[in-house]
Amino acid sequence: MKKEDFKKITPWLWEIPKSFQPDMRVPARIYASEKMLEESFKDKSLEQLINVATLPGIQKYALAMPDIHEGYASPIGGVAAIRVSDGIISPGMQGYDCNCGMKLLKSEYSEKEILPHLKSLATEIQKEVPSGLGRGRQIKLNIEQINKILEGGAQRLVQQGYGEKEDVENCEAEGRLEWADASAVSSHAKNRGRDQVGTLGSGNHFLEIQKVGEIFNEKVAEAFGLFKNQIVVMIHCGSRGLGHQVCTDYLREFIPLMEGKYKIPVPDREFACVPFNSPEGQRALAASASAANYAWANRQMIAHFVRKAWKSVLGEKSSPLIALYDVAHNIIKKEKYNIEGKETEVAVHRKGATRAFPPGHPEIPIRYRESGQPVILPGSMGTASYIMVGTREGEETFYSTAHGAGRAMSRHAALRQTQGKQVIEGLKKIGIIVKCRSLKGIAEEAPLAYKNIDDVVEVVHQSGLSKKVAKLIPLAVIKGE
Amino acid sequence: MKKYEILEHRADLKIRVFGKTKEELFLNAVLAIKDGLRPKIQSTKSKIRNIKTESSNLETLLVDFLSEVLYLIQVNKEVYNKVRFKKFSDTEIKAELSGQKIERFGEDIKAATYHNLDVHQEKNGKWQATILFDI
Repeated sequence: MKKEDFKKITPWLWEIPKSFQPDMRVPARIYASEKMLEESFKDKSLEQLINVATLPGIQKYALAMPDIHEGYASPIGGVAAIRVSDGIISPGMQGYDCNCGMKLLKSEYSEKEILPHLKSLATEIQKEVPSGLGRGRQIKLNIEQINKILEGGAQRLVQQGYGEKEDVENCEAEGRLEWADASAVSSHAKNRGRDQVGTLGSGNHFLEIQKVGEIFNEKVAEAFGLFKNQIVVMIHCGSRGLGHQVCTDYLREFIPLMEGKYKIPVPDREFACVPFNSPEGQRALAASASAANYAWANRQMIAHFVRKAWKSVLGEKSSPLIALYDVAHNIIKKEKYNIEGKETEVAVHRKGATRAFPPGHPEIPIRYRESGQPVILPGSMGTASYIMVGTREGEETFYSTAHGAGRAMSRHAALRQTQGKQVIEGLKKIGIIVKCRSLKGIAEEAPLAYKNIDDVVEVVHQSGLSKKVAKLIPLAVIKGE
Repeated sequence: MKKYEILEHRADLKIRVFGKTKEELFLNAVLAIKDGLRPKIQSTKSKIRNIKTESSNLETLLVDFLSEVLYLIQVNKEVYNKVRFKKFSDTEIKAELSGQKIERFGEDIKAATYHNLDVHQEKNGKWQATILFDI
């Protein structure tokens, strides 16, 4: 495959026609600048995108976001909307970390008010929110409690007092997919989840204290309750070991089913797909939803402990942290779209892509109905993050947009080029505190290992998939004890 | 003989494992996981776990076996450095793992994947496997 195989639709959108390969069912599209497209040839991400275009039931296009990079089966940054009536469901097209996603908490404080407390806040938050690699949470839930979380999601925790009504309202799917069924989740997965509710995990998962550095759209920022120099807290994590086990279990079960019972020809067996409407497919959907609910509960519990740390440093009477929004970027969702004049139910598989519903969409809270859904795009460690908003143009991508910077360099290569100490010193120089136990982990996540978030944001903004609202600047990066 | 080597991969942990026999290949993959987790051992007291895995062929058996090992590692907070195979065929394993309780992991290995999986025997009779772990 070469650049000439792509048709330039706009400076931000490139297409490979269906005729490129006989098994493609739809064209493949990538949202990228010319330079980013050229860089995408460095790994197998575009070949993987072509593979996505071969999935039975796929509608319109196989889609890639500008932060695309190589994954398993589908590239990270891939989107496939599969018609449920005759299409498949693919655990491999969702990714191992089901409902990996973002939550943003807003404070009423400005940078000036928080700076004197920044260090204590970072220390206290790190203490309250463990990575889970060490002692973890000291509470071990029993299987009955895990089942309630799998079926109740963040709503369950809020009912128990671990959050506010707005936490649920300002969350994709109100923090709970109703088609979850705990009996579709193995006891292995449940066991892995017992002591991980409220843990951050490792790798690129993080917590950041940030300030609003720049506002691009005053009107929408006001609707979102954002103002210049405001302090916010960003949370990035997912369904931890439980979600990984769910994916492991279904890949293991589905690869033989796909090749044997259902004889579905796909170019990469890690798609591990079965018909959406088969009994097995429906069970996988219920299991995926259960893991998604677990992830929403996990982020809710983390928010609870961040708030606890906040109060212990700033006092009981400090103004509260309010959820702006919580949104997944690895997920399978049933959604309805008008395709060729017909309302069609599709299973949207978003793997490293964020849902971005437009103004007026019935599935977003009333308070955002006029502006559109808030989209949270994290940068790499120590670089800017963005708040964006969903648009009507986003319908072209089944209301999906980018999910972050996207890796550009292996962990290995990052370790060869930089050291943890050096990264921390560099960040310190620009006034960013880093709280992390592992120096190696810091080096692996160094900004130089990632694509430039500003470039990714520019593509989605210019192409209209979502629009810039505010730029967030990190003040403290917290990776968990 | 080298037990395993770490290969270049953009986001995850890719390893090539070696073994004079299939059993040694599987054992060395378990050792690669242990090293990859960079564990801080809590006590040297030996912990024993039993494992049973069935799969459709040798390739998927390796991944399914390692998935089971990862499960035991995660839920028991232990790492394993010895494997005693009680039964070993291309589709079934019964084994006893022994290892130690850990205080913490330095790294998380969340899943063994089937991605670009390769298990084969070299001309000299030795075994080799390439496995990608999601971390």
